[in-house]
Order: sequence, then C-alpha cells, then structure tokens
Amino acid sequence: MTNVLEIKKLSKSFGDLKVLDAIDLTVSKGSTVVIIGASGSGKSTLLRCVNFMEIPSAGQIVLQGDLIGSGTGESMSYSDSELAKMRARVGMVFQHFNLFPHMTVKQNVMEGPRTVLKCNTAECERRADRYLEKVGLGWKADAYPSHLSGGQQQRVAIARALAMEPEVMLFDEATSALDPELVGEVLQTMKELADDGMTMLIVTHELGFAYTVADRVLFLSEGKILEQGDPEAVLINPKQEATKNFLRGHGSFRLPEPNLD
Amino acid sequence: MEYNWDFGAVWTYRGLLWTGLQNTIILAVVCLVLGLFFGLFVGAARYSTRPILNYPATAFVELFRNTPVLIQIMWFFFAFPIISPFQVDAFTAATLGLVLNTTAFSSEIFRAGIQSIAKGQWEAAKALGMTYMQQMKRVILPQAIRRMVPAFMNRAVELVKMTSLASVIAYGELMHQAKSIAAISFNPIEMYTAVAIFYFLLIFPFAILVRRLEIKFQPGS
Amino acid sequence: MGYEWDFAIVFRDFDLLLLGLVNTLKVTGFALLFGVPLGLVLALARLYGVAIIRVPVGFVIEFLRSTPPIAQLFWFFFAMPLLLDIEIDPFEAAVITFSLQSSAFFAEVFRGGIASIDSGQWEASKALGMERNAQLRRIILPQAIKRMVPAFMERAIEVMKTTTLVGTISYADLLYEANSIAEETYRYLEVFTVAAGMYFVVIFICSMGVRHLEHYLGRTGEITTG
Repeated sequence: MTNVLEIKKLSKSFGDLKVLDAIDLTVSKGSTVVIIGASGSGKSTLLRCVNFMEIPSAGQIVLQGDLIGSGTGESMSYSDSELAKMRARVGMVFQHFNLFPHMTVKQNVMEGPRTVLKCNTAECERRADRYLEKVGLGWKADAYPSHLSGGQQQRVAIARALAMEPEVMLFDEATSALDPELVGEVLQTMKELADDGMTMLIVTHELGFAYTVADRVLFLSEGKILEQGDPEAVLINPKQEATKNFLRGHGSFRLPEPNLD
Repeated sequence: MEYNWDFGAVWTYRGLLWTGLQNTIILAVVCLVLGLFFGLFVGAARYSTRPILNYPATAFVELFRNTPVLIQIMWFFFAFPIISPFQVDAFTAATLGLVLNTTAFSSEIFRAGIQSIAKGQWEAAKALGMTYMQQMKRVILPQAIRRMVPAFMNRAVELVKMTSLASVIAYGELMHQAKSIAAISFNPIEMYTAVAIFYFLLIFPFAILVRRLEIKFQPGS
Repeated sequence: MGYEWDFAIVFRDFDLLLLGLVNTLKVTGFALLFGVPLGLVLALARLYGVAIIRVPVGFVIEFLRSTPPIAQLFWFFFAMPLLLDIEIDPFEAAVITFSLQSSAFFAEVFRGGIASIDSGQWEASKALGMERNAQLRRIILPQAIKRMVPAFMERAIEVMKTTTLVGTISYADLLYEANSIAEETYRYLEVFTVAAGMYFVVIFICSMGVRHLEHYLGRTGEITTG
C-alpha cells in the first residue's frame, strides 16, 4: 500500500502554547483515518497543518512522496506559490461550510478548477455536474447557498473540494455546526466517499460514524497521539485512562450493538 | 528644481495664527455644544410617532443633511440678514449654519442610538412600573449614549473641519488668518502647508481617539 | 416682515445656475472617476503592502482625512503650482484635490468592506489553492463591493457637497454662479434660496436612491452562513 500522506515529527506552537508535539502519522491510499479528542487537544490544528492553513512550527509533510517546503525538519521554509499548489492537491471541508455566497452552487464547485487549475469551461462544467450529482445536489445547481439548508450547503462544500480531484480529503468537524436532523445526510455522503476509496482524514465528534467508517482511529490528547488502532480497539476497548474518560463523557453516542458474526 | 522653504513668515505672524486657532476652537465648541443639545430634541421628535412632531423634524433634518454646509453658511450670511430681525455678523452666520447642520446630523445619531436598544429593555423597564420618561432616562439613554459616543466624536472631527468654511465669509478663524497672511507676505507655499499641518495636529488625535472608542464600544465585543 | 420676494430675477438668470450645476456635477464626476480606483489602490497598499509602502500610505490617508478640504484645495491651487513651477487652472486644482481627498475616504470604505468579509471566505479559497490576488479578485472583493455600495454612494454625495468649495477659487460651479448673480442683482435672499433648493433636489434624490438601495440589499441579504 502506498502512503498518500506522511506527517513527520510535526509540532505547532502558538506563542508559548505547544498545541502539537512531534506528531507522526501516515495515511495510506484509500484509507479513512478519524481523529478524536477533547476540544483543545490539537486535533483541528493537526488537520489545518496538513494543508498549511497553519504553518507548522517544526516537522515535515510529505504528499505522495513530495516533501513540501525546503530545509530540515527543524526549520522548514515555504514559498506562497508552493503552498498554494500543495493546497490544490488537498481537499478541505470546514465546520462552517464557507461557501461563496455571491456564486451559485454550480459556480462554487467550478471556482477551484477554473481559477486554480485553469480548466476550460467545458471541463469545469463536467466536474461540477459530476460532483454535484455525487453529493445528490445536481438539482440545486442554480440556487444560491443562502437558499440551501445547512446539510445541503455542507454537501456542496464537499463537492467543491472533490472537484479539485484531490489526493486526500480533510474534514474539520464537518457536522458540528449542523442541526441534529441534518447531520445524517452529510455523514452519509462522507461514508459513500470512503466506500469509493477516497483517502480521508477526518476530525469529528460523531463517534458512531467513526466506528462504522474509520479504518483507523487516533485519540489525540494535549498535542500527542495517545492511542491509535482500529475502531474496535480505540472506541470499545481503549487502554488509556484518558481515552476511557473521554468516551465516558460522550456516553450519549450510539454504537451499533456488537454483532460479531 | 530646488525650492527654498522659508517658514519665517509663519513665525512672524504667529500672533495672528494663534488668534485664528482660538477662533476655530471657539466656533467648534459653541457649535458642538448647541448642536448636540438641539439634536437631542430633534432626535426625540424624529423618534416620536406623532405627526406634529415627526414631520417638521424630518423636514428639518432632510433639508440640512441634503444641502452643502457651505451654502448654509452663505445663506445665513448673505440672504438671512435681509429678513432677520437682528444683526448677523460672520460669527453669527457661521454659528447658525454649523449649529443647524450639527443638530440635523446629531439628531440622527440620537435616533439611531435609541433605536439600537433592544425592545426587551423598554419592556423590562415598563414592567417595573416606570413612566416613559423614567424608562428613557434610567434605562435607555445610559445604554444608548455609550454606543453614540464614537459617532458624536466623529461629528466633532467633521465640525472642526467645517469651521474652516467660515473663512469664506471672512470670519477670522485659522483658515482665514492663513489666507490673509499668505496675501500679505507672499508665501502661499509655506503658509498653506503650515495651516494644513496645524489642522492635522488639531484633528488627528481626535480621529485616533474615535477609532479607539469605536473598537471599544462595538456592540458585542 | 416687509420684504418683497422677487424670484423673477433668479429665473431670468436660471440658465447660469443650471450651467453652474453642470459644472458642480462635472467636478464631482471627475473626482469620483479618479478617487474610487485610487481609493482601492490605497486600501490594498495599506492592508497588504510591505511596511515601506504601508506606513506612508497610512499617513497620507490620515492626513487627507484629518485636514479640511478647503485647506487642501488652497494648497493645490495656490501652493503646489509655485512649488512645482507649473500652471494649473481652478478646474484642475479642484479635480486633483477632490480626487485625493475622496480617495482617502474611499480607501477606508474599501478597507472596512474587505475587513467585514468572514474569515471563512479567505480560508475556503486558500484551501482551494488560490493565491492572494485570486482570493481578492474572485472571492473577497465581489462580496465586499456589494456591501460597500451604500457607503460608496453616501461618500459620493459628500463629495458633491464638498465641491461647493471650488467657488472659492473662482471655478464657476453652482454656488459661484449664485454668488455672482446675487452680487449683480442684490437679490441675495432669492438667489441663495433657489441655489440651496437646487442642491437639495439633486442631493435628496441621490440620498433617496441610497436608502432604497440599502433597503434592497438588506432584504436580499448578502449573508454568509457561519
């Protein structure tokens, strides 16, 4: 199995506050990795460092064998244009969707291919149609984001990221801002992507979803990976006290009944 | 091309400039105080639902907000004396124009400030048994005025700038003194540069203060 | 009050007043034509320029905002031509002054508009791989400009009011024409009242337009979710 993403000794500090402490993580092609942890554990920062929305303080990111930036692990330097090119290869979905309100749904999805990848109009349209169809919103192509429900907006945001045909997708608490009844449709879309073999790195509080979809679950605490393994190992039989406490705090999450035959 | 700057005349005529600066400040302060005072009443009249108060107040505000302040000042200096029962000198004309202008703008600030207070505040005060005046004085205005402060300061900045228009009708404020000195001593370059700098030094600290207050009083921060 | 109003004299010279109004609009139009783009450039320089550009631009904006327009006009008309050894007519001085003066205010409108855009818009476009120019051009400015329209129009009205100053350097705008007619006929009351009325009509119509636009933009809701 090839590694799509390798994170080596990644650290991030904001002033004196060390948010990430020498994280090592590899994500292989087609796998779904879910990161869980309490708020303030650094999980969102980890995700945002992967595509340099935050610049790491130290460490390296390797995407499909390409080391991003130049220098040694302790002091990397990055050029703006290199980072922009890198981000074009990584899709990101935000907690608050961040659709472009002045563009229709279809224009939102076409924007990346058009402005960043310089695709011709026909190709942009082909991609928009295809990925809107994939998230089940082809019929909303001409609507403006403000006329969609939160769940629909987030599915459009997923289509917008997919239209870049990224090598890996990042989901930063993609369902946290949604009303409870709208969470399901977004998780369903994400699950379908996982089933299609998309490589995904997901930060979420939806432990039931993590259990069903993840190939690997990471529990992050105080900027370190405290525990990792398959969903069964981390979510059902955690070894660390901190993990157990965290899961107890999320007692309301519903796991499917263990039905092991 | 080398120009030899010579600010000597600015220093020579410092007495005239000082008088001008004092007159600028006097005019600005008088107009600000009177303008805010009348503005409160016009604002209250604008806020009222009674047509007899609302209509004339609205007409007044629209008239003064939608004409240039210079023509207001010139109207009071050249036209008004013809029908005025009293003598109108340059100071009076400038004061009339600037006070009424400031009244119109500040009444809108009062109105918007009062409108910005949530309805619940009126209801809570009413439920306690307060009269309308008590609600206004004890509950609404104390909150509203806090929000209005930056807008009023902004108005003060605009007002200081507007006082320079009194030079057009030969009131001896800073701009007029500068004009006179430039004519006597044939040094428009230094004189007009100096007067611009004086105004900047007078106004800029206020502008900074306004911005500080704007950030501090931003609702919700 | 025994004064006998006589408007006939005003209307005999009404074409002069109209000509003055046209000149007022001309100065305003040119000031906006140069002032708005310059304001955008100043705003971008102040927001994103390197320190050596940002600091002086900031100073120029603050200086223009904190000095009376009449002081600026006199500087550009009386001081600058001597300093640079050039000739300049009142119209040119007025256009230079009001373009620069309004650009400082427009710069702040632009800056406020850009700052009002939700940070998520920057994030989302950055995550797509856009560089700053593309982000500004495609995502931020189209939204910001729509929000700024009312503030722009308000500023444009202020510019028109401010142009009344050009009369002081003998450019034949509406106020200047009114003054000369009044001086000739001694009908100050009628002439200034009519001139004020003409300003009122033009500016009031513009103000109403702004208010309708504000209302309309408020209703269609340029709202970003989240």
